[in-house]
Amino acid sequence: MSSESPTDRASRRTRILSNHLTTSDLQVGGNSLQSNICLSYSPPELHEKIEFEVRKMRELLDVHNLQDRDWLFGLMMQSKLFNPQEKGGKVFVMPDFNHTKEQQREMTMKRIEYLLERGVFDGWLTTRGPETEMRKFAFMETLGIFDQSLAIKIGVHFFLWGGAIQFFGTKRHHDKWLRDTETYRIKGCFAMTELGHGSNVRGIETVATYDPKTDEFVITTPCESAQKYWIGGAANHATHTVVFSQLNINGRNQGVHAFIVQLRDFDGNICPNIRIADCGHKIGLNGVDNGRIWFDNVRIPRENLLNSVADVTPDGQYKSAIQDPDQVIFSCCRFAAFLAPLTSGRVTISLSAIYSAQIGLAIAIRYALSRRAFSFVPNEPEVLLLDYPSHQRRLLPLVAKTYAMTCAGNYLKKMYVKRTPESNKTIHVVSSGFKAVLTWHNMRTLQECREACGGQGLKTENQVGHLKGEYDVQSTFEGDNNVLMQQVSKALLGEFIAAKKKNKPFKGLGLEYMNEPWPVIPSQLTSDILRSSNFQITTLRLRERDLLNRFAAEMSQHQSSGVNKEYAFALGYQLAEDLGRAFSDRIIFETFLNDEGTVSTGPMKDVVGKLRSLYALTCMEEDAAFLRYGYLSTEKAAAVRAEVAKLCSELRPHALGLVSSFGVPGAFLSPIAFNWIDSNAWSSSSA
Amino acid sequence: MASQNSVMAYNDQVLVEEKSLTRILVLNRPKQLNALSYPMISRLLDLFVAYEADPNVKLIILKGNGRAFCAGGDVAAVVHDIRKANWKSGAQFFTKEFTLNYVIATYTKPQVSILNGIVMGGGNGVSMHGRFRVATETSVFAMPETALGLFPDIGASYFLSRLPGFFGEYVGLTGARLDGAEMLACGLATHFVPATKLSLLEEALYKVDSSDSNIISAIIDCYSQQPYLKDQSAYKRSVLSPHSSHFSLDVIDRCFSRKTVEDILSALERESMGKADDWINNTIQSLKKASPTSLKISLRSIREGRIQGVGQCLTREFRMVCHFMEGKLSKDFFEGCRAILLDKDRNPKWEPARLELISEGMVEQFFSRMDDEEWDDLKLPSRSNFVLPRHAIAKL
Repeated sequence: MSSESPTDRASRRTRILSNHLTTSDLQVGGNSLQSNICLSYSPPELHEKIEFEVRKMRELLDVHNLQDRDWLFGLMMQSKLFNPQEKGGKVFVMPDFNHTKEQQREMTMKRIEYLLERGVFDGWLTTRGPETEMRKFAFMETLGIFDQSLAIKIGVHFFLWGGAIQFFGTKRHHDKWLRDTETYRIKGCFAMTELGHGSNVRGIETVATYDPKTDEFVITTPCESAQKYWIGGAANHATHTVVFSQLNINGRNQGVHAFIVQLRDFDGNICPNIRIADCGHKIGLNGVDNGRIWFDNVRIPRENLLNSVADVTPDGQYKSAIQDPDQVIFSCCRFAAFLAPLTSGRVTISLSAIYSAQIGLAIAIRYALSRRAFSFVPNEPEVLLLDYPSHQRRLLPLVAKTYAMTCAGNYLKKMYVKRTPESNKTIHVVSSGFKAVLTWHNMRTLQECREACGGQGLKTENQVGHLKGEYDVQSTFEGDNNVLMQQVSKALLGEFIAAKKKNKPFKGLGLEYMNEPWPVIPSQLTSDILRSSNFQITTLRLRERDLLNRFAAEMSQHQSSGVNKEYAFALGYQLAEDLGRAFSDRIIFETFLNDEGTVSTGPMKDVVGKLRSLYALTCMEEDAAFLRYGYLSTEKAAAVRAEVAKLCSELRPHALGLVSSFGVPGAFLSPIAFNWIDSNAWSSSSA
Repeated sequence: MASQNSVMAYNDQVLVEEKSLTRILVLNRPKQLNALSYPMISRLLDLFVAYEADPNVKLIILKGNGRAFCAGGDVAAVVHDIRKANWKSGAQFFTKEFTLNYVIATYTKPQVSILNGIVMGGGNGVSMHGRFRVATETSVFAMPETALGLFPDIGASYFLSRLPGFFGEYVGLTGARLDGAEMLACGLATHFVPATKLSLLEEALYKVDSSDSNIISAIIDCYSQQPYLKDQSAYKRSVLSPHSSHFSLDVIDRCFSRKTVEDILSALERESMGKADDWINNTIQSLKKASPTSLKISLRSIREGRIQGVGQCLTREFRMVCHFMEGKLSKDFFEGCRAILLDKDRNPKWEPARLELISEGMVEQFFSRMDDEEWDDLKLPSRSNFVLPRHAIAKL
């Protein structure tokens, strides 16, 4: 492991031990100018310089509702409910993951009640408009920084249950449910997924049959695979749910519809004809009470059908603007509007993934700025982890990506709150791509951070390792990432075919560049060219464009050889997933470049420019498509790689400033991000 | 200004006693309740810096001459200077003062402050950041700046925001006075020693030959008492149920945790309904008397301070205080000084006069860089050559 000989090692140990015995007094007071040979924690704040204004950089990342966020951080830090623990002279807040899942769930609910009492949820469902929506997003992001369970439990109640009432329901539902939801008089959940059907909602097996004699629907779980599964809130707390179910009218299936069903009375007793079971202990998110639900011919009033698109008259006639039953929830024109609750879910998931990556990186980088290992020269002080080029290469490109993806997340949020019927398709495509790319990025970042912290990364209190379990679910819920990537490519293919068939220019999704001639990559890639946004965008577009052409060619080849369309898509998964990523990377780059443009000239702009270059060049370095299809020759790919290393070393001096600008307060990081020697001292271990 | 007067002030206004490895610094302007003048601040900074490098100093005791520890910064003199020259002479005062606060907060040797009598404003800046704060039965703590058209500065956004719950917001916004028992209960003081035992305590501390915090703490413990909180104390909390109680600390937690000053006021008014509670009414009154601009800025400062290190707090407060001295965004500081310190009519005319007239954008301006080429952010002295003790590291 080390080149140190056993004698060297022994003499070093002796030196350290004798130091303990003779000079322990010096460390506290005494001649403090003399540094101690015995390891002492040297806070990065003292030896790292920050050359840009952290406040401004945080504004670039957090953008909106900064005071609201700080207020909410403070609400959590100052309450005993958030489990404050002193470690190394600093207070950290974090759920007690040593609690049983039942205890964790009760704590989550108590925290929600506390936040409710302080007015955090005021206006979440009773006021509308972009301002309210942005504030909600800011709060969700902030809550998720404390605990993903807390954010999800709140998200299910407001965004899924509340959102379903808002979007699928009509005035009578709004009047009846929204206010009571906002005050938590009722607690809602969202029963879509079944044991047998997840992403394919069309295939769900729950049935609702209309009974004109009593003016009621009868909801039934016909078989075990139809049990509702993973329903957050169902196991313990929810009083009501939205149920997605096939609608059967006079023996005819009208497709999937949404209904309101009461699950529990106000004393918490489960209602008749409903059975609920727990989903059990999970690898994370044990603060959320996921449950399973069976409906045994549950009767609900006809008015409980959420009827914004289709309704049933008292005499049992089905009324819908759309003829095809399959199209009610999934019709093209209604698709995005109808699945709006899921879209907002993807926005929140993307953002919470990126904040989780911020937490991981802030911890790993701060640790790497205070932890040393090995010396380059014998008897010299050991070297800070982050002064190893390899450690820089592991963490700094992830910082650059996190910056770029934060900007991308902000772009998505803005687009979502300003949504129009015209922008729905773009929102759907972009949110699908971002959700997949950002959540994958988070998982990868957490794993890298965990490894970068060595054994310390394994301790739950240090977050980075534990967060992997908490966030893993993001890769599959509200759309399996792989499926989402294929959906992105399907949409791009649609654009491609439309443009080619009608011989019309590309418009939307940022594809306009495809109307131009194919670009040429410069033959010599100097450092200046590699760092120019022009080269970067051209190269990222070249990949996307070429992959789309290849994908289209492959699809038409399959179809001309008699393969049906759906199977052709299934066969084309390789290009489809590469294309989905190429599209997302390109938009992420563009949003980052756009935000860079808003920064005024100065040290901060220089740093953002380097991050943007590092983001783009890392994308090129990591995806084999650039070499596979020859967008970059082997020489050029080598030049890219060398530039990545150079950028890492240039960003190294800014590392502390970069992670400080994430705006995650120290209390939400972990002991290894601060004085880890003191927090591990013997005197701290009894507490 | 480098006259004989200021040289004399430099030497006379802070007295130094040497007792073996302990240095006793005495704030010595008893007629002005030891209000910190520029010469005092300069002297203190020089002494602290020198003692840090001096291996023959292990401990610093800071106390006041007369019946006060320190009533604050000499604001009247600052206003006088600004009137005579320009606002930057005022800024100079704060540069020095905040630098001193930072050195104290990150000091490598223990400091024991004897908080006998009044300790307010700038007086807290030279004591609260230190390792040990000894309160007595005569202690009177306050950060009264909002009544003066300013905000709790000297790094108060750091230490107030770290008091339990939302007590810091309460103390910082209302300027409420706390006695020694309350100071100990909320953590502003680390010890409570009866005034009659102070000289014994000091003598014991003269003999110290170590900078070990545990040793010093143990010595002070020998003279400490557990004081009783008075019945009507704002720091009383219900032992039964935090929701149904009328105890002040619970009310403080419910009301001062609200998002805006307006929300805090209306929460207090809701609490006061149907009750003849002097404490709530006084609290509401002190908020209504304070400068609305000060209130909004102070609240935000405490909230930001909660998630910042002490250095960041001081740098930010320096920007804010410069805006107040410049008087472009608000003249409330000058109006407050006029009404409270100069004319003493105690009837300041705040501008804007009502909370709802102050937008978030107006508040924001106080937190941004000064629009002045000659101005720069506060440059804190580098502490990288020192091995800081754990409690100082935790403040960074």
